[in-house]
Amino acid sequence: MQSENPRAKAKSGARAANEQRELDANVVLRESIARMDPRRLISNPVMFVVELAFAVVLVMALDPTLLPFVSNKSNQAFYALVAVILLLTVWFSALSDSVAEAQVRSTATSLRQIEIEVKAKRLDADRKPTMVSSNGLRKGDVILVEKGDRIPIDCVVLEGVGMVDESLLTGESVHVKKAPTDILIGGSVLVSDSLVAEVSVNHDDTYLSKLIRMVESSKRPKTQNEIAVSVLLLGLTAIFTIIVGTLLWISLDLSLGVDLSVLIALYVCLLPTTIGALLPAIGISGINRMSENMIIAKSGRAIETAGDTDVVLLDKTGTITIGNRLATDFVPLGKHSAREVGEAAFLSSWYDDTPEGRSMIDLAYRYGYVPRAFRSISRAEAEEFSATTRRSGLKLDHPGIFMLPKGGKGILQGSRIRKKYAGADTQGELNISKGAPDAIMQATRLVPQGFDKAVSEIASAGDTPMAIAIGEEIIGLIRLRDKLKPGIKDKIDAIKAMGIKPIMITGDQPMTAKSIAGEVDIDEYVSQAKPETKMEVVKKEQASGKIAAMVGDGTNDAPALASADVGLAMASGTTAAKEAANLVDLESNPAKVIDVVLLGKQLLMTRGAVTTFSVANDVAKYFAIVPVMFSSLPALGRINILGLPPHVTVLAALIFNALIIPALIPLATRGVRFKPQSTMSLFLRNTLTYGVGGVLLPFIGIEAIGLLIKSL
Amino acid sequence: MAGALELIWLAFVWATVIVSGWLLSTYLFSVYTGRKGRIDKVLGPVEGWIYRAAGVDPAKRMTWKEYMASLLTLSLAMGAFAFIVLIGQAYLPLNPQHFPNMRWDLALNTAVSFITNTDLQHYAGETALSYLSQMAAVGTLQFVSAAVGLCVAVAVFRGFSGKYGGVGNFYYDFVRSLTRVLIPLSFAAALLLAALGLPQALGGYITAATVGGGTQTIEVGPVASFVSIMQLGTNGGGYYGANAASPYQNPSPATNWLEMWMMILFVTAMPFLFGRIVGNPREGYMLLIAVYTLYAINVAIAFIETPQLGAGMETRIGAFSSVLWTVTATSTMTGSANASLSAFNPLVILAALMGMFTQAAPGGIGTGAIFLLLYVVVTVFIVGLMAGRTPEYLGAKITPGDIKNAVIGFVSHPLLILVPAALAFSLGAAASVGAGSGAAGFTSVMYEFASAASNNGSSMLGTAANTVFFNLSTAAAMLLGRYIPIAVMLAIAGSMSRRVRATGASLKTDNLLFACILVASILVLVVLTFLPFFMLGPILAALQGLNAI
Repeated sequence: MQSENPRAKAKSGARAANEQRELDANVVLRESIARMDPRRLISNPVMFVVELAFAVVLVMALDPTLLPFVSNKSNQAFYALVAVILLLTVWFSALSDSVAEAQVRSTATSLRQIEIEVKAKRLDADRKPTMVSSNGLRKGDVILVEKGDRIPIDCVVLEGVGMVDESLLTGESVHVKKAPTDILIGGSVLVSDSLVAEVSVNHDDTYLSKLIRMVESSKRPKTQNEIAVSVLLLGLTAIFTIIVGTLLWISLDLSLGVDLSVLIALYVCLLPTTIGALLPAIGISGINRMSENMIIAKSGRAIETAGDTDVVLLDKTGTITIGNRLATDFVPLGKHSAREVGEAAFLSSWYDDTPEGRSMIDLAYRYGYVPRAFRSISRAEAEEFSATTRRSGLKLDHPGIFMLPKGGKGILQGSRIRKKYAGADTQGELNISKGAPDAIMQATRLVPQGFDKAVSEIASAGDTPMAIAIGEEIIGLIRLRDKLKPGIKDKIDAIKAMGIKPIMITGDQPMTAKSIAGEVDIDEYVSQAKPETKMEVVKKEQASGKIAAMVGDGTNDAPALASADVGLAMASGTTAAKEAANLVDLESNPAKVIDVVLLGKQLLMTRGAVTTFSVANDVAKYFAIVPVMFSSLPALGRINILGLPPHVTVLAALIFNALIIPALIPLATRGVRFKPQSTMSLFLRNTLTYGVGGVLLPFIGIEAIGLLIKSL
Repeated sequence: MAGALELIWLAFVWATVIVSGWLLSTYLFSVYTGRKGRIDKVLGPVEGWIYRAAGVDPAKRMTWKEYMASLLTLSLAMGAFAFIVLIGQAYLPLNPQHFPNMRWDLALNTAVSFITNTDLQHYAGETALSYLSQMAAVGTLQFVSAAVGLCVAVAVFRGFSGKYGGVGNFYYDFVRSLTRVLIPLSFAAALLLAALGLPQALGGYITAATVGGGTQTIEVGPVASFVSIMQLGTNGGGYYGANAASPYQNPSPATNWLEMWMMILFVTAMPFLFGRIVGNPREGYMLLIAVYTLYAINVAIAFIETPQLGAGMETRIGAFSSVLWTVTATSTMTGSANASLSAFNPLVILAALMGMFTQAAPGGIGTGAIFLLLYVVVTVFIVGLMAGRTPEYLGAKITPGDIKNAVIGFVSHPLLILVPAALAFSLGAAASVGAGSGAAGFTSVMYEFASAASNNGSSMLGTAANTVFFNLSTAAAMLLGRYIPIAVMLAIAGSMSRRVRATGASLKTDNLLFACILVASILVLVVLTFLPFFMLGPILAALQGLNAI
């Protein structure tokens, strides 16, 4: 049913896009140069100022006499070099934006490819089906959907009744009956019958297409946090403008022999060019990383809020557990052995296609509880599950026929069975039945000792007991358990390590809820939840000042999704849910709400790390340049710790300042790597890396570049 | 370096002031949160009478703008009153020495200086001010400006805590600051100082015959009461031109230590009070640790070179106490002096400048604490992002508006120091007061504006700066340097008071790690802003081997 894995497709799409990226290099290059137009650059004040500085130094390089007192004819070559480096600094900044946007475009392209793959059968006027791609469909087209087909696009049923599997979208494995006038959601799968439906939207209007287009558009409002960082950068720019301005002024007053180009170099080195250049790219890349994970963020704000999450509401079914109860244990009762229970379960499930039935056969196989006379089962007669008897099973006629002559202890060792179960009524017949314990109790005469105790023991562990009987006697119980999704425990541990509280929401009984919650170490859960429960929990947590994240798919989740700070809707869910949410998961995997939180944190961390790094860098640049910038104050040379000649120091600092931008583009676009741990340890680690590292690295970098220049 | 005994003594003094500050903070907390006590029986009616007489409602909740407006109106009105007294003192009573009226620009500078808690003095009190001017004009303003400082701190603390529905009521805070805090404490301190030998008299200067046969004028006056508020309120404006170097103002090592202790008392109590008001004493402890670390760094810089007793220092006070006083007076924005600044080596001046550039180590009464919070907001914002959450302080998210206000506060400081300093050289005003173009001259001019803008009041130019340019330019720096930061911090506090408080796993600020990062961040921010000017001033002077500036 879920043979098509959208992520695999996206990955292959991304590969194709990767090849395309080689071709895009020209586009990126051209675009980055166009971005250096001062009219466009003004939206990034820090870089705009650098470009202005470039213009001034360019004038000095062309004709130093235009700016007397602060320039020297003999330094013309030096001015030219400074001008070139300043221009490169601006270009590197423009390049980082272009690279980030190219990445977003390629991700959007690969997201589109998931949709393109879906084929549809369009009916023409004489009701003959033609195969078309779903993006060729228009509103009003009539399509045929047959058993096993994926619904290509949102449409309304015109004829027929069928069962639709929306589990990919909702996580609930119960199939939904669709009759005329019902809405079919694109992406769900028809599992029975065939339907004729009318397409209700144009392909481009599907909600997902809208979202993908949103990802692609580079016009997105700045988030509060980005605005705050921009204001800070503007403030730093103002402070450094005052400092460098008054420094120039005072140097002229006191005849300190300062060169304007050196002062401009100091100015540009002090300006927060690193974060100024990378700030837009960091924001774009945050959205891009979400998209690569098949999650569409409707706004940058949604991602950042995700990083602030304090509480995550997790549905038990579909998020924490697979949603199907599977057999995990055979519990014999009375004189019976586990093997007998296992074989009985095997036989009774042979015609049972439900996941529960399949799991019993799997478990019996694993234990080796396979009846030896297995081939004869074809002679058996299945007893279908019925709502009245609440049990299913198998009736074997003439079990003697397939008795094995050789030894063994299986339940089909005919003689023993005959002896034991030859009841007065059905000599030669063997009835194996399984079902809810109370249902089986009603249908049998012999209830072994300890039955009630064993039943309640299984139930109290959060599992579901199923009784199995042969003939009139209950021989044991089968323990059914809702399995955890693979990897979910690690994810829950990860968010708990970061101080985020998971709350499990389930419609189950308290016992079951408690047991599952215990298995994944969730301390808080809500059992017997009603549709409005999520909303109540969200409101309650928000009232105590918490940021709440939740997942939803159905229309009845929409209010809760809208009021939650972070609402992740499933692509397969209703449009109401998707509209109410601020994030949509194309894979419809509710557990990804945890990834959303981690990606949000990563975005904020990256922005903070580059800002801190940028500011910390200034300390080193100061100590490099200031001691050598006043030619009439040789005494300051004593604290020139780098020991490089003045012009070499200035060029080295400028080159370092420029090169750090492209060097950090990968960090900006892929984000700071981190292990889930507490807020304080993340903080300490990043502070050491980007704060202390940010102070020390430029000393080393400038010295290395300086020595290199000197050796040339 | 200082000797081991001196360091132990310093540690002892700091320990006593920290304990006293803690005790004071419990009292201040009850004063400003309106906790009822026996004292209400006496002061309640008095305060009620004041409120009625002034026609104000002390129970009204003010917005931060109303708070700022009342604060500014009251301060400017008091300043105008002092200005009138100063330019007309010749016609007014209590002038036994018959001092003439003050020149308008000096009177303006003086009125602004005292209302802004700066107490920069371009005059010598004993030869320029009548008793009335000393008491009614500058003496009263020392109380007013200190009370306003306390009000601002309490209002900002309330706003940050988010527990008081706003920033409070200015009149309530102001009146209680005077009736319950500053007046009683100054009174007690004045008695103590008078007991230790400071004059307290209104009978006119005494002319005495000396042993050598000559005559000497002993300039007595209400000195003890003046000094008590000058030190407690981190004002620093001396009764005498020589300030605490004068034997009447600071007769002995005992008074020297007591007066120094008084300077640090309130600023030490402030972080404790912050912790109490926001409901987590640990927040306050960590801020105090940060503050004392910065203060200790300044002291350490000043003692890189062993202080030598030289010209301009008092032998009864000694080199160690002179340097320590100077660093303390500049770190606390008191600005009083027990030695001439020209007596010190450039590194002491560097330490003094560090204190005035930082403004929060520990800073002036009330204002030091709000500067500290300004640094906290910026630090939490920059480094807090690295914890992977939108930065929060005390649970309140830091908004672009906060950053805008904080940035205005930050930008104003270098602007108010550097632009007028550059202007002073361009216009020749620096040369006219004898400041040359070398490291020493540059330092003394920059020092003047650093002192004015940070509302410190110490000066390397002293009465020489009594020129129209310096009187007006420093007056502007003092006014803007005081009210811009107060306005932006009240704005931040006002908006924070209404903000939803998060209770999640945000960055914790009540731990040593944060205190360390705060100290590092403050040092980086100060160094980033002022390093080139340190280099052109005291560092250059030190490198050129100057012993004193």
